[in-house]
Amino acid sequence: MNLSVVRFILFQVMRIEGILMLLPCAVSLIYGDSEGLWYFIVAAFLITAGFIGCRFRPKNQNINVKEGYASTGLSWIVMSLFGCLPLYLSHEIPSFTDAVFETVSGFTTTGASILSEVESLSHTALFWRSFTHWIGGMGVLVFLLALIPMSGGSNINLMKAESPGPSVGKLVPKIRSTAMILYIIYLAMTVIETIFLLFGGLSVFDSLCLAFGTAGTGGFAVRNDSFMSYSLYIRWVVGVFMLLFGINFNAYYYIIMKQFKKAVSLEEVKTFLAIVAVSIAVIFAKILPLYENAITALTDAFFQAASVVSTTGYGSADFDAWPTTAKFVMCFLMFMGACAGSTGGGVKVSRLMILWKSFVREVQSYVHPKIVKGVKMDGKIIDNDVLRSTHVFLAAYAVVFILSMFIVSFDNLDMTTTFTSVLATFNNIGPGLSRVGATCNYGFLSALSKWTLIFDMLAGRLELFPMLLLFSPSLYKR
Amino acid sequence: MPVFKTRPSGLKIIIVGAGKVGATLTGQLSLEGHDVTIVDKDPSKVNDITSMYDVMGCIGNGASYHTLSEAGVEEADILIAVTESDELNLLCCTIARQFSGCSAISRLRNPDYSKESKYLREKLGLSMIINPDLEAARVMSRVLYMPTALEVRSFAHGQALIVKIKIPEGNILDEMTIADLGAKITNNILICGVERDGDVVIPKGSFELKSGDIITVVATSKEQSNFLKSIGVATNQIKNVIIVGGGRSAYYLSDILIKKGMSVKIIEQDRKRCEKLNELLPKAVIINGDGTNTELLQDEGIENADAFIPLTGIDEQNAMLALHAKKISQAKLITKINRTGFIDIINSLDLGSVFYPMFITSDMILAYARAKTAAPGSNIETVYHLFDSRAESITFNVTDDSKVTDIPLKDLKIKKNTLISYIGHNGEGIIPTGSDVISKGDTVMVVTMNSGFDDIGDILE
Repeated sequence: MNLSVVRFILFQVMRIEGILMLLPCAVSLIYGDSEGLWYFIVAAFLITAGFIGCRFRPKNQNINVKEGYASTGLSWIVMSLFGCLPLYLSHEIPSFTDAVFETVSGFTTTGASILSEVESLSHTALFWRSFTHWIGGMGVLVFLLALIPMSGGSNINLMKAESPGPSVGKLVPKIRSTAMILYIIYLAMTVIETIFLLFGGLSVFDSLCLAFGTAGTGGFAVRNDSFMSYSLYIRWVVGVFMLLFGINFNAYYYIIMKQFKKAVSLEEVKTFLAIVAVSIAVIFAKILPLYENAITALTDAFFQAASVVSTTGYGSADFDAWPTTAKFVMCFLMFMGACAGSTGGGVKVSRLMILWKSFVREVQSYVHPKIVKGVKMDGKIIDNDVLRSTHVFLAAYAVVFILSMFIVSFDNLDMTTTFTSVLATFNNIGPGLSRVGATCNYGFLSALSKWTLIFDMLAGRLELFPMLLLFSPSLYKR
Repeated sequence: MPVFKTRPSGLKIIIVGAGKVGATLTGQLSLEGHDVTIVDKDPSKVNDITSMYDVMGCIGNGASYHTLSEAGVEEADILIAVTESDELNLLCCTIARQFSGCSAISRLRNPDYSKESKYLREKLGLSMIINPDLEAARVMSRVLYMPTALEVRSFAHGQALIVKIKIPEGNILDEMTIADLGAKITNNILICGVERDGDVVIPKGSFELKSGDIITVVATSKEQSNFLKSIGVATNQIKNVIIVGGGRSAYYLSDILIKKGMSVKIIEQDRKRCEKLNELLPKAVIINGDGTNTELLQDEGIENADAFIPLTGIDEQNAMLALHAKKISQAKLITKINRTGFIDIINSLDLGSVFYPMFITSDMILAYARAKTAAPGSNIETVYHLFDSRAESITFNVTDDSKVTDIPLKDLKIKKNTLISYIGHNGEGIIPTGSDVISKGDTVMVVTMNSGFDDIGDILE
């Protein structure tokens, strides 16, 4: 492996993280939080180390698949370890494990918290938690690609490793322009949401934090009860935006380029919206008896479905108390997740579609053993490589899932908690059911379980292989 | 969307056909900062290229409007069709021209069309038609006029030549500095590049030449032959040529050589092709036989040939034939190599003049792309890659006043590893010294180890 280029990328990531950490520093100045000092210290350290490290450019800047995957995996680990320092050092989260858990949960846009109540945190800490969602949503390496011109054309391997979905394509020929377009769309949509929230009467601070959480499909809230005390207007705005951020960003690019036909005809987006609509209908029908008011019931059904399917995890209702069918639909949505090329997590709609279609093909091949039938998406035959990697992904997903559940089972919790704690972290959602439900938190788990879930969150966000590859001994051989 | 334009100088270029030339062009054009989209119907070829270079891939038939529009033909500046098939290339360009205002460049190899290429270009509205085999034949024929040279390129409308020669053992240039050369031999030539032990330098006055160096000399056509005579390396004119392999470039080359009065013998294995060649080239001697058979070569007089040119489709065969000929005859050797992966090994073999037809095609297209990016006032005439693309020679037509005009060259802050090698002024070529100036209307040739110059102003720091 070309270690020097990996080192170079890690220093670049440190530098960018340091620069981004100046934002919470500014917040601490506005609110006069004394904890802000630690953010300044860590940011100064990251920026200095980053600048020094970046001075030594590697001769060979070629990033092959393995360098791309390894540096992505390591970048996220490094980013999380440094990102948790201000929280840990300022004693707002006194345990190191908890601080790492909270930060990884932020960067991976999971939104699972170990804190039982958040309102006592300083504004700076709240802001940093939400801001990590925004950084992690589109990905820090994509940000790097948008900002820093790197020589060589192999940078696509960095983008491939960090961007979710079975196959990653560019929007325009240059990767730098592609990354810029993605971030411009991301930023613009965040700003629009913030404005909508300001109209709903929220403070600037709350609007920003909630918008960050929605944009990255994260889920850290600024109130103890998440969304239960917000108005219907706020719930609908955030609900709609959660769905929007769960849609493949290619659709927005097509809209900007005035290619509306292409945008509307994306098969994955159509399927995603159809599944969400049906799920909302089922949940609404099931929970209606629990509510006095049909509009509140519909709002909750919509908000919660949008929240878990986009893998955000904001809670407007305690869905743990819902009927089993509704809970099951929620679990299915958690598992499915959002579209490829969005900021959401989960298995991804397009992967499920590919699996479903190859399943149908397999069944047909029993009826007509000589049938020739390709698996198609958007009218194009899917390459066999993509098909194979999708199947392998699902197999690896199942293996990691089962092993994680086995380790968490040592805490001797009930089955639902064990299952949904892994489900909700692995798919980057946040709240699960039972003891890790919408009104609870992850603080009571043992350290072993927490580290397992930390790994799951990272593996889930990076779609397994960048993390799994780090355990492969052959990676480190020359 | 102007918002998303990161580098406004980059052109939007679509390349149809991910073969050898397509891949080379994609790499070079993307490194020069253009937005390149590569189109091919073979997904694996497209994937290989997109994982290597920062370009977009598009899978499909490049002649279908659907595929082209997916590749963004409406906004494209240049479309380059370099697929295997001439017909497909022409169709591609024609369709692209129907739907957008882009310039279309097509590769056309079939001799049936090449005679009509000017007509086709005008009627179909193409910007350029490239026949790589014909271009390669032209380049090879130039070396045969000046057999001492390893490579001869012309620029400034043919007024001046860039000639590459190897300094033989015990030549008077051995252990002579560049400054001495000017004082003792001639001031009318310029050595603009030296390759020694695989490294390329643009030499200064104090640089000492050694035998075995490969030097690149710039001068007017007349001065070149005088120079070669005065250093004592000029040899006799070439009268008879043996070509092995009767492909398209053999045909074009023979055609040119016969018109110049040389006698040409072509050895070709395929009987039908021989008959066709005989029909096309009545003056050439066509031998039907296996050109790799050493006895046949001996019978056909390889030992007495002035030049021996293996042009088979197989690189290894060409190299072996050249090595064989080197051993048994004094013939001038020209070797055609298609694949570029083994440049180092090929260079170490001493195969005489080595040609990569692919670079000839890509040089022409690069020159076109740069001319299109160039600011008004400095038009690029030619771009040549010297020393396997480690240095470039670029010829500008200076049509407007700019930062570099009317200032003595010694007062210009010129980039490192860049040399102004030739100025054509009022139809007269000079090898510039520090007191010369570039004026409006001049043709200026620059040799540089930097890449991507598209404006004469780029030579300045």
